[in-house]
Amino acid sequence: MNEKEGYLDVLVIGAGIAGIEASSLLSNSGRKVHLIEKTSYTGGNVIKFEEVFSNMECSTCMVAPRQQELLQDKNINLLTLAEVEDVKGSFGNFTVKIRKKARYVDLQNCIGCNACFEPCPVSLKNEFEEGLSERKAIYVPCAGALPNVPMIDTENCIRFKGKDCKACQEACAFEAIDFNQKDEQLELKIGAIIAATGSGTFDPKQTPEYGYGKIDDVYTALEFERLYASNGPTEGNINLKNGKAPKSVAIIHCIGRDQKGYCSAVCCMYSLKFNHYLKSKIPDIKITEFYTDLCIPGKSHQKFYEKMKETGTDLIRIQEAKVEKQGKGITVKYDTGKKKDSLPVDMVILATSIEPRDDTSELAKVLGISLDEYGFFKEEHLEASSVTTSKPGVFIAGCVQGPKNIQNSVSQANAAVGKILSLSK
Amino acid sequence: MIKSEDNSKNKCAIVSSKSDTKESVIDFLKKAMDEGIFDAVLIPMMTPAGDSFAYVLIKDKTLLKDGAPLSPIMSVQGAKAVSSVTRLGKGKMKIAAVMRPCEIRATVELSKLGQTDLENITLISMDCPGVLPLSDFLGDPKKGMKLFYDAAEKWDYKPMRPVCQICDKSSMIAGDLHIGTLGAKKDTFFIISNSQKGKNVLDKLGIDPKESADSWQAKVKTITEEKHKKREKNLKELKSKIGGLDNLTDTFSQCINCHNCMRVCPVCYCRLCYFDSDKVKHTSEDYLKIAERKGSIRFLPDTTLFQMGRMLHMSISCVSCGACEDACPVSIPVAQIFSMIADETQGLFDYVSGRDIEEPLPLITYKEEELNDVEDSND
Amino acid sequence: MEKKIGVYVCECGPNIAEKVDIDKVINAVSSIDGVAVVEKFKLLCSGDGKKFLEDEIKKHNLTHLVVAACSPKQHEQTFMEVCENAGINPYLFQLANIREQCAWITEDKDEATEKAIRLTKAAIGRVRYHSSLEKKELECTPNVLVIGGGVAGIETSLQLASPDRKIYLVEKSSSLGGLVTNFEKTFPNMSLTSDVMKQKIQSVNENENIKVFTDAEVEEVLGFFGNFEVKVKKRDEDKSSAEFNVGAVVLATGSTLFDPKKTSQYGYGELDNVVTALEFENMNSSGKITLKNGKKPNSVAIIHCVGRDETGYCSEVCCMYSLKFVRYLKDKISNVKVSNFYSDLCIPGKTYQKFYDQTKGKHVDFIRSADLKVTKKGDKLNIEYKDENGSKKNLGADMAILAPAMEPTSDASGLAEVASISIGDGGFFSEEHEKLGQISTTTEGIYIAGCAQGPKNISETLVQADAVTGKILSSLIPGKKIEPEVKISQISESFCIGCKKCINVCSYGAITFDEAKKISVVNEAICRGCGNCVAACPSGAATLKHFTFNQIYQELMEAVQ
Repeated sequence: MNEKEGYLDVLVIGAGIAGIEASSLLSNSGRKVHLIEKTSYTGGNVIKFEEVFSNMECSTCMVAPRQQELLQDKNINLLTLAEVEDVKGSFGNFTVKIRKKARYVDLQNCIGCNACFEPCPVSLKNEFEEGLSERKAIYVPCAGALPNVPMIDTENCIRFKGKDCKACQEACAFEAIDFNQKDEQLELKIGAIIAATGSGTFDPKQTPEYGYGKIDDVYTALEFERLYASNGPTEGNINLKNGKAPKSVAIIHCIGRDQKGYCSAVCCMYSLKFNHYLKSKIPDIKITEFYTDLCIPGKSHQKFYEKMKETGTDLIRIQEAKVEKQGKGITVKYDTGKKKDSLPVDMVILATSIEPRDDTSELAKVLGISLDEYGFFKEEHLEASSVTTSKPGVFIAGCVQGPKNIQNSVSQANAAVGKILSLSK
Repeated sequence: MIKSEDNSKNKCAIVSSKSDTKESVIDFLKKAMDEGIFDAVLIPMMTPAGDSFAYVLIKDKTLLKDGAPLSPIMSVQGAKAVSSVTRLGKGKMKIAAVMRPCEIRATVELSKLGQTDLENITLISMDCPGVLPLSDFLGDPKKGMKLFYDAAEKWDYKPMRPVCQICDKSSMIAGDLHIGTLGAKKDTFFIISNSQKGKNVLDKLGIDPKESADSWQAKVKTITEEKHKKREKNLKELKSKIGGLDNLTDTFSQCINCHNCMRVCPVCYCRLCYFDSDKVKHTSEDYLKIAERKGSIRFLPDTTLFQMGRMLHMSISCVSCGACEDACPVSIPVAQIFSMIADETQGLFDYVSGRDIEEPLPLITYKEEELNDVEDSND
Repeated sequence: MEKKIGVYVCECGPNIAEKVDIDKVINAVSSIDGVAVVEKFKLLCSGDGKKFLEDEIKKHNLTHLVVAACSPKQHEQTFMEVCENAGINPYLFQLANIREQCAWITEDKDEATEKAIRLTKAAIGRVRYHSSLEKKELECTPNVLVIGGGVAGIETSLQLASPDRKIYLVEKSSSLGGLVTNFEKTFPNMSLTSDVMKQKIQSVNENENIKVFTDAEVEEVLGFFGNFEVKVKKRDEDKSSAEFNVGAVVLATGSTLFDPKKTSQYGYGELDNVVTALEFENMNSSGKITLKNGKKPNSVAIIHCVGRDETGYCSEVCCMYSLKFVRYLKDKISNVKVSNFYSDLCIPGKTYQKFYDQTKGKHVDFIRSADLKVTKKGDKLNIEYKDENGSKKNLGADMAILAPAMEPTSDASGLAEVASISIGDGGFFSEEHEKLGQISTTTEGIYIAGCAQGPKNISETLVQADAVTGKILSSLIPGKKIEPEVKISQISESFCIGCKKCINVCSYGAITFDEAKKISVVNEAICRGCGNCVAACPSGAATLKHFTFNQIYQELMEAVQ
């Protein structure tokens, strides 16, 4: 085994669940970690879920202690609103340039009281809430976001567009808002890198047959997660656009699968989870799941499916489906291969494929690693440990390497740490 | 051990007896000692003063003739007696303990709690007609003895303790051997084995259990049903009397904090009772604060708390033996109350204390699916 | 020594000051017995605030500190450090949350003030009864025991072994490699396995920091994280045993296959030419795929999900290796017809669908079926099944390959007892947490990796092996001592009556029974301070440090009266 001399600090890119777990584990071993996160908050996609399968644990309760430790861990240097611009060097000897955007709010002085939001005159769609609610130009993405410090969205803040507005600063009693903050350029000496920037989801606007964006009450999985979330735009109330509770829902699996060419591994399970979500809020609701193959591998997942089956949900195997408007409601026209039929429903949830994020290819160039044919980061060997890349010292973990569930992402994060610790002392 | 409900399918032995069943039981024990099956017998015996009964460990078999297997009173609860013999570990002596069903059940519970080692102890029970209230007997022991034996013969419960009158487990088999007097033809009694240990004893005595125990089972069923009805009626009345915090506090208001009930209870095994410890003692400042808040405070405090706390700690193992009620100097119906609650707490887990030594204690046994009916339905 | 409690209320800017009448709070607590000083401050967590507290502690010779401010999750650590720096034991401190749990959620100022007074009084009432607690340090050994010499065990051993960390690799059979040595190729790249495996096994054997025991089983694992005492029994003539100490144990004992003899519907063991996947792998590796009569099969049926109903879960790898088998067959037998009988096609992940798409083709059928039965028809096999429409159909085949469910090994439950871990779903080893702790167990220092934890493919197995490596390398560092949890349970020797209720409810195996004294004893290195034993103990012999009856009672009384 090679024992590398050189820098011991590790750069972790992405503070989602994989990045958080990797950073924690590295810190335990005494290594210093620079955790770079593009957004203003930690937790990534996982904190958008109210509950996770199959133990149906509260997602924020699960992740929040880890997020909190992150903020207090002396070995972890969390840099939010930061991106990696350049990587030079080799394993044990990387020089990394980081561009850290200004938050315009002082992390030490701000105590998270949120007093600065109300006076802000700018209202925009909240990306975290999948556009289902609004935020201000100075904002935190959701209640409970950590670090609990807002940022100013300079693209939309009228001050940064030339107007003399100080509304937020005037509302702050802690002198935490500082318009004079500047973007920073940092240079870090790094021994190893773990890229864990996660993934995005397929935009169903590309498949107009599902009516997304045209028909009301057709939601993507992430939008539905936010609807159900107790800290979401509706505080967990599942209502149609007309304000009433839906009496029937269709959940359509495999949205985008044909276009992407692979199975996203988690959608069948979370669709079953949605079954539970809906039944818990609206016990009499009728749910129909339209699927192609039920993908529920693993020792605990079929048990979960059996429990969901008992709730009276119909599972219909289809080859094709279309979502159309029918009067005031929706109808799902489907083809099982032996018959064609239609089902009127109040709401449709689309289980969209997992796909690489838009910025993945850019990051791959910066890191000097390659992408596979689907746009995910490429592992060195498909049949070996999937966390190594062709570039020594650069490791990958989580959905940035391919679609997978939380436990596999966490294991990859731990594995990347294992590789780093065993290869460099 | 085979569960007692299955005993109707068990075979038993029918042993001819003298007209005095007691004497025959003693003979049986004597023979067993002769054969070396037992080295000693633990059995109640009348005190030399003739005014009470006590458990005695008899090594000299000539003294067996003074044994009184169904004594008129429960002086020391049998489980306390037998469990203290092996509290610090089993010895080499093989001991037979002849006790009432509730005493055997309490012994089984204590064994589960690591308080006694039953490996070399054979537990022998008998159909129990109940016992007299201790206070009734002590006034005039001679009268008490006559009253008891006359009533026992006819299986008449009227003179017995209130908690015995409503006991529907007076013929429950939880030990190794059971002596059945109910439903037996004149001058006979049944011997039913309930475990390998019991069977071995019968083998060594040359007794082959091949008779049907149906007539015993039938009589037991009749009596049990009768008592069960009385139990339901009595406990319903009791519930209305003590239901609600005010009634409960009133019921226990005469308590003098002597903790006798806890001391005689076979299942209360703690070295230092929680309610005797410093944990329930407070500083005078704290007492004054309470007095300030409520206007006044009773001393010794924590009477209802003690009762409820003890109930919380031992209800799962309560065998409704009634020792507590005999011991209460102010005659609070503790046994009836605790027995009523024990039905409910044990019922939650489909548990009957002491019925099966292999059955684990419900509160410390983890089950993935449990108490679904009391879980939040929105989970 | 006389107690001198210092109470400091944080204004937190307008956050607490505007919602709570802090002066009223100060007045309400100033005259409490033992309170030496009460002050307010603008922002106690700031640099100035911390310095202020330190100076105050020294100035007034305070013995205890109470801060009424924000959530303990936010700044308990901060103020504990202040105590340490000022010379007070950090556990003689209590933080009252009058922000998140008071100022931020109460509209009416009077109500908020009253609540803040209660919370502060409660903290004072409690801190009075706090005891100093000291962090402990335990020596540990960095060596590791790996049980199971398959893919996971080999990978873990190679990653961990180093001159200052010895690995003991114990393998039940006489050779290393596990199930994977039976495979000619692995999906999805169809690369040759045997060379890779041979290389790895050689690396293990040549590594002077790895001691390999074959034909051996682990008999005993005693002790705790950092200090396990292991006994290994060898199945040689002497029946010799080896004893050694390790800091961590990895269970990588793999899996076995469901025995199709347990169901009669597949004719396994009765009809010729019905083989399991493993038997087919061996057949393929030997180079000759033949029927019993020596001829090559012209038609093969691969039957998925054998035993799935009985085991109750999907084994994840069978659809993929069935596709691999199609390729094996097509490589070795031209014009062979292969029919896959399946229920749901399980091909998750970015590469598997492509593998499936490229395996479809001429003479390859995928038949979704149910109620399948294998019978004999003449000298061929007959597959009876119900198709997607529910109609009964038949298909003849020369050979049937059964894809049986993956099951835990037969010694799994015995091994779980030896290692004091639990068995979970499917009979596999139970992980600590389904989402965040796939490879650790509730027993600290005992890890699980590979199919012993649940059915999975080789890549996931290797990831788990590396993940275990990560966990061990970061926690079991040569020369570094282990700091166990401070707020743990303790059992009074004089009050314990040996009923073992505590042992029954401890999820961490942290309580042992001293047979000589007949009392329960807490292992301070393993105890996590959950308090189950304290709740279960009827006599109060078990108490929880920093959560004693009195501490909780005093806090509660002040809060609710």
